[in-house]
Amino acid sequence: MAENPSDLVVETYKLTKIYQNRQIALNDVTLRIEPGRVLGLLGPNGAGKTTLLRLVLGLHRPTAGWVKVFGQIMTPNTAALRCRIGYIPTNPQFPSGMTPISYLDHIARLFGLPGDVRKPRLASLIRAVDLLNVSGDRISGFSNGMTARLAVATSLINEPDLLIWDEPTHGLDPNARRGMLELIKTLSERKTLIVCSHNLSDIDEVCDYAAVLSRGHLIYCGPLRDLKGRMRCTHYVLELDGDPKALTKAVQTIKGIAELKSVQADQHRLEVVLGEEANNSGVLANVFMTLSDNKLTLLHIRSVGQQTEQAFLDLVEKEESRGFARAYKQPDPKREAA
Amino acid sequence: MDSSTAKPYQVNRFLPYWAVFQADLHETLHSWVYRVWVLLSVLAALGCLLYRFGAYRMAGVLPAAPELMSDLLRWTVLGSVTLIIILTGGSISSERGTMADSVLSRGISRHQYFLGKWHARLAAILGTFFVLGALVVLACFMMLHDQSVSVHGSLAALGTVAALLTIVITAGVTISAISNSTVLGIAVLWLVLYGVGFLLSLLPADYPSPDRALRTLPNMLRGLYDGPTVLRLIVGSVFTAVLIAGIGLFSFSRRDV
Repeated sequence: MAENPSDLVVETYKLTKIYQNRQIALNDVTLRIEPGRVLGLLGPNGAGKTTLLRLVLGLHRPTAGWVKVFGQIMTPNTAALRCRIGYIPTNPQFPSGMTPISYLDHIARLFGLPGDVRKPRLASLIRAVDLLNVSGDRISGFSNGMTARLAVATSLINEPDLLIWDEPTHGLDPNARRGMLELIKTLSERKTLIVCSHNLSDIDEVCDYAAVLSRGHLIYCGPLRDLKGRMRCTHYVLELDGDPKALTKAVQTIKGIAELKSVQADQHRLEVVLGEEANNSGVLANVFMTLSDNKLTLLHIRSVGQQTEQAFLDLVEKEESRGFARAYKQPDPKREAA
Repeated sequence: MDSSTAKPYQVNRFLPYWAVFQADLHETLHSWVYRVWVLLSVLAALGCLLYRFGAYRMAGVLPAAPELMSDLLRWTVLGSVTLIIILTGGSISSERGTMADSVLSRGISRHQYFLGKWHARLAAILGTFFVLGALVVLACFMMLHDQSVSVHGSLAALGTVAALLTIVITAGVTISAISNSTVLGIAVLWLVLYGVGFLLSLLPADYPSPDRALRTLPNMLRGLYDGPTVLRLIVGSVFTAVLIAGIGLFSFSRRDV
């Protein structure tokens, strides 16, 4: 944990953004991001995620409150701070007439990198993102995967300490998405990352911290593990192998377990839903014991629904149901301390 | 942590401005509005010169070179102002959104971005104007053989027109930095420039106005001009342009993009 506030990579205090006195995009957001963290920024559409990122980048000016990046207030003219940030916007756009080499060179010059630094660096990055064989082609002919790789190279050209990636897996095929997630994991060893995504399984895979926004309000900020811990899994699907008669017999026995809310069997698939108060490890132990007694082999078990997704939806739902009360909430000492 | 390690090179603070300048100059020179403007200017100049040259060859009518040249220069200002407004009025506002994001989220300040854009549009339009103007002057010298045209006067005339164009270009880039909508910005700028030009022409003769400055072009081309007055006009125009740019710079550095 950063002891000195100047050690924080990003710090916002009572950050509020109101567009033209018509739309409240962000309301009273206080957030602290320490070095080395991978923060997943979550929230439904219109929650204020992109507004928050744009405020951190100095593309927008706060209506109230402030943003500090690396201990200094971010403004539209603090170019030196942006030199330490690598940004990928949602659906990055590129000048169609440029090639990857000319575009990366242009971006590197926007960071003020001298020729003897930027030329070798852009060559290495083009090789690293596997665009070497199309490095002289026009970007306009590129696929989504190729433009995503170019966007990654663009965000790394200045060797930033902080990476801000808005929807980095948007529009990517499974292979490209997998590659992107692996890259985030690799980069997270050396850099601080803010990853904004609608795909909660991506956040679940690469982030260690999460911030959840709902209607411009920060409703959760803390370890992802704690967010998931708020939602205990109660719904499991088991794939089984063995004699169908034995399965029928096992299902009858399992139905007798009091803490189970429902049990459904379909050929070799067994679906169990636990009661709200049930101890899931104890109940599942009973289920496994019954399956073992009936000589059934467990091929696969999975919990239904992404844990993060359910926790996230639960949080947003609770926040929205609080309505008027949230405006008058008492400060959360835990959040303040974090 | 990487943040604590010093960069092993010196960042060139001039480079972001230069990158925006070069990219915008390239973009302007390849835009269809620029090409239409150049094409129309060249065609108008050629048509005018050929008509006068034909009249001289066929009917022996000798056109006065200063009048012909001042007509052409006036066309450049009055006729092509609309195209120049379109060319400059969208310089920043048309990029608002993702394209501007990809530039302004890098290590560049709003000041550098605005200045890069402004200077690139000035270089593209004034550079083209000087090339076209020089060609017109050269063509007039070669085809009309009029000894009354003075080289100094021609330079002063070109300088006067360029000074007026500087105001138009600067106002275009400034409106583009202030306005969210390119179409609205162009419409407002068009009305303001023509409106202010018209209002200035209604003022007493002592006051400077674009119309009066353009009417003095024939005499200026003959070399009959008051040097300090022309200099005052040029300096005044440059000062006005810098003032307008200052407003644009201040406004743009405080805006959301």
